[in-house]
Amino acid sequence: MNSGQIATTRSRDEIAAAIRSLTAADLARLKMVARKYAFGRPIESDDLLQEAYVRALDSRACPSHVDVVKFLAEAMRSIAHGEAEKVEHKVTLVPIAKTGGPKDEASSIKDEADDAETRMIAAQQAERCIAVHAAVIALFDDDPTAQLVLEGMMEEMTAEEMRELTGLDKTGYDSKRKLIRRRIDKQYPEGWKP
Amino acid sequence: MTGKGKRERVALDRLADVLVDDILSASDEDILAEFKEAGGDPNQNAAEMRALFEKSVLASNKKRLAVAKAAVTASRRSPTAPAATPIDMAAARARLRAVVDTPGLPQKVTLAARKENELSDADILGMLEDLRELGVLPPDDSQDGKP
Repeated sequence: MNSGQIATTRSRDEIAAAIRSLTAADLARLKMVARKYAFGRPIESDDLLQEAYVRALDSRACPSHVDVVKFLAEAMRSIAHGEAEKVEHKVTLVPIAKTGGPKDEASSIKDEADDAETRMIAAQQAERCIAVHAAVIALFDDDPTAQLVLEGMMEEMTAEEMRELTGLDKTGYDSKRKLIRRRIDKQYPEGWKP
Repeated sequence: MTGKGKRERVALDRLADVLVDDILSASDEDILAEFKEAGGDPNQNAAEMRALFEKSVLASNKKRLAVAKAAVTASRRSPTAPAATPIDMAAARARLRAVVDTPGLPQKVTLAARKENELSDADILGMLEDLRELGVLPPDDSQDGKP
């Protein structure tokens, strides 16, 4: 943005109007995004989407130049990461300072019980992550090139790096990415739950 | 997740980010075709998504109402003192002197104010208020030295 431009954000009504005018393709896109970000998270895709809608209306500033679908996708990403962190960080929580009062003992016992439960949930989630990671890679056992591209995607390799690694041209590479997306969607239409 | 499974979790997160990027940049035709291929009905999905949005609007409105109610309740429980405007007492005293020195004022009005340096701040302000009520005090443009 140059200095002559004024940074503007959409009002609540403008965000609502923009969402109400989304096409069937936009809404299908949003549903697919919600499923991807709910993938392996302790949240349902519809709940994720609804929370993104609420945050878009209530708290997140949506710059006027940003596409509303992208804005909602980013909100979902942020919520999904937050949900995962809730479980991850809960494991390390310890009871806060004791006052020496009679309630201390009861509070400690409750916290430890919660902690044990969240540890168990986190451990199960970790096992599930390992299993799903292996299963997603195994989906492409019949296509070593797609498998290589998939692993590159998981390692944050750039498109150029992956094309160089696999010898694919742009069209071939894009086609593999599409194949990967479709096969994962087919295998996990509603995502997987940890 | 601090150890076991963290690498896989990070890898799946990256995969989700890349797949979302692809979804966001795909054409409408591709998206609709993929959606149907996965067994979805785009029109039914659109209707459901719109209904979900209207439900979210209601939830958001309820939340806003609850926040507004809480603010009103809090404000009723602990009414804060109106913000005090600092008063420039030197200016107020100067103003009173200027009024007292104005020729033609009734003696009764000016007598009490002549010993301005012996009057307390509260007396000065009270006297200015009285003079205003009598219509003797000209309007104060600067608002210094209220009233």
